[in-house]
Amino acid sequence: MKILIIEDQKELLKSMVGYLESENYLCETAADFQSARQKIEGFDYDCILLDVTLPGGNGLALLAELKKDKKADGVIIISAKDSISDRILGLNLGADDYLVKPFHLSELNARISAVIRRRYFGGQNQLKFQDLVIDLLAKTVSVNGKPVDLTRKEYELLLYLASNKNKVVSKMAIAEHLSGDSAEIFDNFDFIYTHMKNLKKKLGLAGYQDNIRSLYAIGYKFEV
Amino acid sequence: MKLLNKTIRSYLVYSSIILLITIPLFYVVVRHVLLRAVDHSLKAQMREIRNNLSSIHSRQELEIWSGLDKDISLYTEPGPAADSIYTLYVANPRHHHDEDPYREIAGTISVNGQFYKLVISSSLVENQDLLGSIMIVQAILLILLMTGILLINHRTSRKIWMPFYSLLNDVQHYDLHKNNELSLKASRISEFNELNQVIKNLLNRNYEIYLQQKEFTENASHEMQTPLAIIQGQLELLMQTVPLTEDQAILISELEASNQRLIRLNKSLLLLTRIENNEYAPAGPADIAVIVEAQLDSFQDHLEKRKIKRIEKLEARPVVQTNISLMEILISNLVSNGIRHNIQEGILLVETGPDFLTISNTCADKALDAQKVFNRFYKESSDTASTGLGLAIVKRICDMYGFQLSYTFDDHMHSFTVKFEH
Repeated sequence: MKILIIEDQKELLKSMVGYLESENYLCETAADFQSARQKIEGFDYDCILLDVTLPGGNGLALLAELKKDKKADGVIIISAKDSISDRILGLNLGADDYLVKPFHLSELNARISAVIRRRYFGGQNQLKFQDLVIDLLAKTVSVNGKPVDLTRKEYELLLYLASNKNKVVSKMAIAEHLSGDSAEIFDNFDFIYTHMKNLKKKLGLAGYQDNIRSLYAIGYKFEV
Repeated sequence: MKLLNKTIRSYLVYSSIILLITIPLFYVVVRHVLLRAVDHSLKAQMREIRNNLSSIHSRQELEIWSGLDKDISLYTEPGPAADSIYTLYVANPRHHHDEDPYREIAGTISVNGQFYKLVISSSLVENQDLLGSIMIVQAILLILLMTGILLINHRTSRKIWMPFYSLLNDVQHYDLHKNNELSLKASRISEFNELNQVIKNLLNRNYEIYLQQKEFTENASHEMQTPLAIIQGQLELLMQTVPLTEDQAILISELEASNQRLIRLNKSLLLLTRIENNEYAPAGPADIAVIVEAQLDSFQDHLEKRKIKRIEKLEARPVVQTNISLMEILISNLVSNGIRHNIQEGILLVETGPDFLTISNTCADKALDAQKVFNRFYKESSDTASTGLGLAIVKRICDMYGFQLSYTFDDHMHSFTVKFEH
């Protein structure tokens, strides 16, 4: 999978590349409007991460060009602007997703895989880990063909960890992913433990060997 | 005391004093003048009679003559005496209670070697009537004059001070957040023009400083976003490094928590500046109860975790003209506030009325300082998760739409009420 990251902040670019490359994505980068435009015109990407404010031009203009040329690249806007109108503007221009800076890399990764799945795996939209199958369309989970009854939060939690498999995902990233903005207001992540405990219990009862590992104080890791 | 009343009051005091002094004074003076005129005429009469005595030769003639004039009385007198003038009060023959004043002159005359006392009297009743009339006319004139002066003065003062009052009104309605233009009418009075100019300059300077500060906060927040994002990214990469010891994991976790707090704080500051910059369109009708339900649902995890009982009284469904995102932020801040400062197994009560929303929560501590509770970075607890900006944001949103925000403490419950009507 080939990803183009358009971002003018070098350190931020570096950390994104670092995280995504370890996920076996092939990353190319562009730090300004001109080089981004050349790369978009010259190559096809599975997903483009697009910063809006770029030296030499507005990222949204690149998005407009991309859509005019009827290119099928998935686009995720990464922007410091978090107002609803900015989001709507970006999505109306044809972006697949909109992520507000600063974000968790695990969140970015989950969004990228969602975009890529939507684009390439059409009908059979499933994630398989040995006996465990996550059906992304029906939003159901089954072990050895037997359905596991999960709550919405538990399903989201499992999918999030699975999207970042073999990565340490911090409690804060999980909390933010599960409860959106309301997570920001509390330093107390106890509610994650409850969901995690229930999820592990349900998977265990269904006969799936538990591979979600808790890592000290930081968070969790879905090991495959 | 009002400025106009102040000037008029001095005039009024002065007028009253003059009025009180002049009326009796005038009375005394006029009375004196009239009396002197009567005396003069009496003396002249006496002189006349004495001059004409040579034509009278006998007692009979004298009695006949004196009988002709009822104002003249004649008495026999043993010897000559000096002339005397005096006032006499004689009972009125018609009204026995009244005494009419008379002025009399008494002098001695001699006819054929015999001395007689001659008394000429003159009634003062008419003089008194005249004096009364003069006094009434005088009093009416004075009162007319005073009230006239007062009225004219009041009107001119009002006219003169008009620019001052209009300036006062303008300054009272001035809002730094909106920087509404002052009308400041030009006046023919140079002092007022100067005052206008001075105030205009003052406000402009203030507004510039305010803009600079706002811009500073905005720029600072924007500039901080990128380094915060970088720290966040690097920390997540650091988490993936192998081997990761427990000590390292704890350090990274604490770093991430602090960084998240900074990110949150920064977001709140940005939000405040955006509200102050009017970056939120006025938007349309917002159903408060719907937003409340949605916000309460989004906090369900936190409510359950702390076993907080959620009580909703949302029968009244106020619909308010406002920006929906801002209303969501407002309600979300109040709800999270009510959860954060709640107790284990406490109560979160949300109530709507036709024109208000109240969010109350049980608490372990005492009442907050109602004066400071909406200030930025005002913290009663040492809760590090709190940015200290939540209620400041709520207050700012309320100010923007003219809602009344109030805080009350009753029976171990903190209550925040937003009144939507002005």
